[in-house]
Amino acid sequence: MGRVAREMVEKAGINVDQLVELLVKNAAAELTTYYYYTILRCNLIGLEGEGIKEIAETARIEDRNHFEALVPRIYELGGQLPGDMKVFNDMSACPPASLPKDPRDVTAILKVLVEAERCAVRGYTYICNLTAGKDHRTYDLSQAILNEEIEHESWFSEFLGEGPSGHFLRRGETSPFVSKFLR
Amino acid sequence: MREFTEKELAEYNGRNGRPAYVGYKGKVYDVSHSFLWRHGTHQVIHNAGLDLTDALQKAPHNDEVLKKFPVVGILVSFRKGKQHLPH
Repeated sequence: MGRVAREMVEKAGINVDQLVELLVKNAAAELTTYYYYTILRCNLIGLEGEGIKEIAETARIEDRNHFEALVPRIYELGGQLPGDMKVFNDMSACPPASLPKDPRDVTAILKVLVEAERCAVRGYTYICNLTAGKDHRTYDLSQAILNEEIEHESWFSEFLGEGPSGHFLRRGETSPFVSKFLR
Repeated sequence: MREFTEKELAEYNGRNGRPAYVGYKGKVYDVSHSFLWRHGTHQVIHNAGLDLTDALQKAPHNDEVLKKFPVVGILVSFRKGKQHLPH
């Protein structure tokens, strides 16, 4: 634990135990999403699905990166991950991104993907709002993750016909915003 | 429709098997079956059994999220004129 680092956050008026719980729940959401996206990606097949597989894979890998990036901050603040994986799964801040009943329904898969991203966008916006000007490190991390979640949402939203995302897909590397926390 | 005082609403906090109700702009919503309100808590900080009108103004979502939940009553305090000013 970073004793002084935690003290600084407490002195800024943040309930650190609540913040840690929030970070653990979001870490659980990232890891479970990584798992569910693996299943969704496997089912994105055929003429319609194949074109979406690439972005689903990028979002999957970046969600795993978000989990990896969140963990050190949880421990720095004096928190920890639950010892029981089942407990961790049940703590998730977002609903499971389960495969739709008809796995060939690509639009239904896209809706699951976009809803998962929207839950994440709301979650990290919330953490940013909570920590802005008070906990600079958690804010920086949450903002980096938020940037990537927003891009994920826009990719899937574009495929659902909700309008252009406005940017290209990743060019080789993943996590352009979060990578600084993974070194 | 049932009328709730704030004290009565507080009993529906989602804990120990109780339903989870939240107040918003005079209406009482049943969020018991929401994944995001498990154990009567939302985003660690917000608790069921309360009028969340003010809190929702600061939330990273609008009140459309409440549309999918059944309205189970009205808040007496709101009817009596204790309304919330927009931020």
